[in-house]
Amino acid sequence: MTSKEIFAKLHEVAFNPKQQLNQYLADGKKVVLVTYYTPNEIIHSMGLVPMGVWGADIQLNQSKKYFPAFICSIMQSILELGINGTYKGASALVVPSLCDSLKCIGQNWKYAVKDIPFIPMSYPQNRKPDYGKRFTKAGYERVISDLEAITGAHFSDDNLRVSNHIYNEHNAVMREFAEVASEYEVSAQERSDVFKSAWFMLPEEHTTLVKELIERLKEGPKDSRKVRVLVSGILADAPQLLELFEKYGIKVAFDDVCDESRQYKKDVPETIQNPMDGLVEKFCSMDDDTLLYDADKKRVDYIVTEAQKHHAEGVIVLMTKFCDPEEFDYVPIKRACEKAGLHQVNIEVDRQMVNYEQAATQLEAFSELF
Amino acid sequence: MYTLGVDIGSTTAKAVILENGERIVASSIIIATVGTSGVQNAVTEVLDKSGLRMEDMTAVVATGYGRQTYEQADYQISELSCHAIGAHFVFPDVHTVIDIGGQDAKVLSLNERGQLANFAMNDKCAAGTGRFLDVMASILNLKISDLEKEAAKATEPAQISSTCTVFAESEVISQLANGVKIPDVVAGICSSVASRVASLVRRVGVQEKVCMTGGVAQNGGVRLALEKELGVPILYDDKAQLMGALGASLYAFNKENKKNNT
Ligand code: SF4
Repeated sequence: MTSKEIFAKLHEVAFNPKQQLNQYLADGKKVVLVTYYTPNEIIHSMGLVPMGVWGADIQLNQSKKYFPAFICSIMQSILELGINGTYKGASALVVPSLCDSLKCIGQNWKYAVKDIPFIPMSYPQNRKPDYGKRFTKAGYERVISDLEAITGAHFSDDNLRVSNHIYNEHNAVMREFAEVASEYEVSAQERSDVFKSAWFMLPEEHTTLVKELIERLKEGPKDSRKVRVLVSGILADAPQLLELFEKYGIKVAFDDVCDESRQYKKDVPETIQNPMDGLVEKFCSMDDDTLLYDADKKRVDYIVTEAQKHHAEGVIVLMTKFCDPEEFDYVPIKRACEKAGLHQVNIEVDRQMVNYEQAATQLEAFSELF
Repeated sequence: MYTLGVDIGSTTAKAVILENGERIVASSIIIATVGTSGVQNAVTEVLDKSGLRMEDMTAVVATGYGRQTYEQADYQISELSCHAIGAHFVFPDVHTVIDIGGQDAKVLSLNERGQLANFAMNDKCAAGTGRFLDVMASILNLKISDLEKEAAKATEPAQISSTCTVFAESEVISQLANGVKIPDVVAGICSSVASRVASLVRRVGVQEKVCMTGGVAQNGGVRLALEKELGVPILYDDKAQLMGALGASLYAFNKENKKNNT
């Protein structure tokens, strides 16, 4: 396939998750909905298909009954989609309580979406010490027992070992894609489609396609755009926004986006004999993330370093409205960028954005700074 | 060389013709919402005033909210860059530009060469914008141009919320119901805009000299309240509302000049 054909296929998947869900169900598979840093390896190893839920750009109606107005629209739209039947057929939803909004989705979900069981899980704040690792492991064991009870599937260490390997391979391919997309001609929408589609496909299927894509891209022209940026935020998937990146000649040189590169930073160390311990180690070694306790705000240095490494001269923070963890991080990010001589801009985004005029003005002015 | 800058804002259309990037030949301001014939009227008026024709313009640059809709433009650039260029032209040693327009507020930070180095825009709320003043003036049955005069008469400025236009509206009504005098309410309204905009200025950093551009700059009440809030003098020029169009016209000149020199 040509790169255009692969991009088209991934675009199709990224924009039609419902079709993917129905296809997996028609193939006799059970689908489990996952989100921020869920142990997808475990779900996959039990023969289930993990599919990402990150809400959608839809009108919120029924979810408003359960949430106050001042809560991020990602959470609200996930509940809305649950209530309106979009996820029908899925066996369960697993959500770790990594922020205040994620903490309160469970109670509302259980009440409003009766046909899809909710599996809660908690991660420790202090994930590095031994007790943090034990806590993480206990959380994973809870997910396993809930999944076994709900789906009838069984867990085995041997299968987890295989899945860990499959996910590690996918992580490596996604990391390589991010580097290749930084160097070669790839539009913001195409880049986003590769990351988004990963949430709706089995990793082994996605790895095959992205591997081929990488080879094709390397045969193509290198990107010569002058305005290179690192994009940071929870999501960067709104097509209208990505279109503006093209319009103003802004190249995404790298990202620190939650549903994009942040997912692929760490692998399960396969040298650890017990695959569950390996998976625990993966989570506990993760850093530089809004949702993971980071008293020293090391994430700020990470953003600056990655921007410089990828020859980006600017940082675009896409601030999800009412996302308090991201808002807390913004001030040190802004200061660090200024100190490092990086241009930066903060653009507020949410799932109900209908007017992109203000974002357009900000991006246009931002591109004029270079 | 003549260049034309057109600034199509949310509530007014502005046009400026410059000669050799130095002298303002003519300017025009038409009150009209974006998407209407306002821009055409502004261009017709500025051409009439100058005695020039469109064909005499070496380049035309459009800016402002409606910049994409003006087909006669050779280039389009953001109003932020234009206000920076325009403000630097009028006040060569300005480093912070506060531009409050009809529906948004922007703060620009300029480097030593007068180039835009950083900026912040208000979030999606009318508080701290010209729209806020429109709403308040209509509740008080005053003209926008009367606000300055009224604010100057205040003895005990009222406290008005700067968080939300809708909340502020009901606050104004209850202040009036409680017998607070109109000048005190107006002064409170100006302070409310100032405190909202001041937080935006602080996000970028207050670097002297500071100037104000955009339609709201004409309101001395807001300017004064902002000076108090920020603790620095704020420069003002009666071309404040034209600053975007002026910047666009200058941009056109610089662009053409560069072309001719290469
Ligand atoms: S991290 Fe932010 S965007 Fe994500 S669920 Fe929590 S509040 Fe919402």
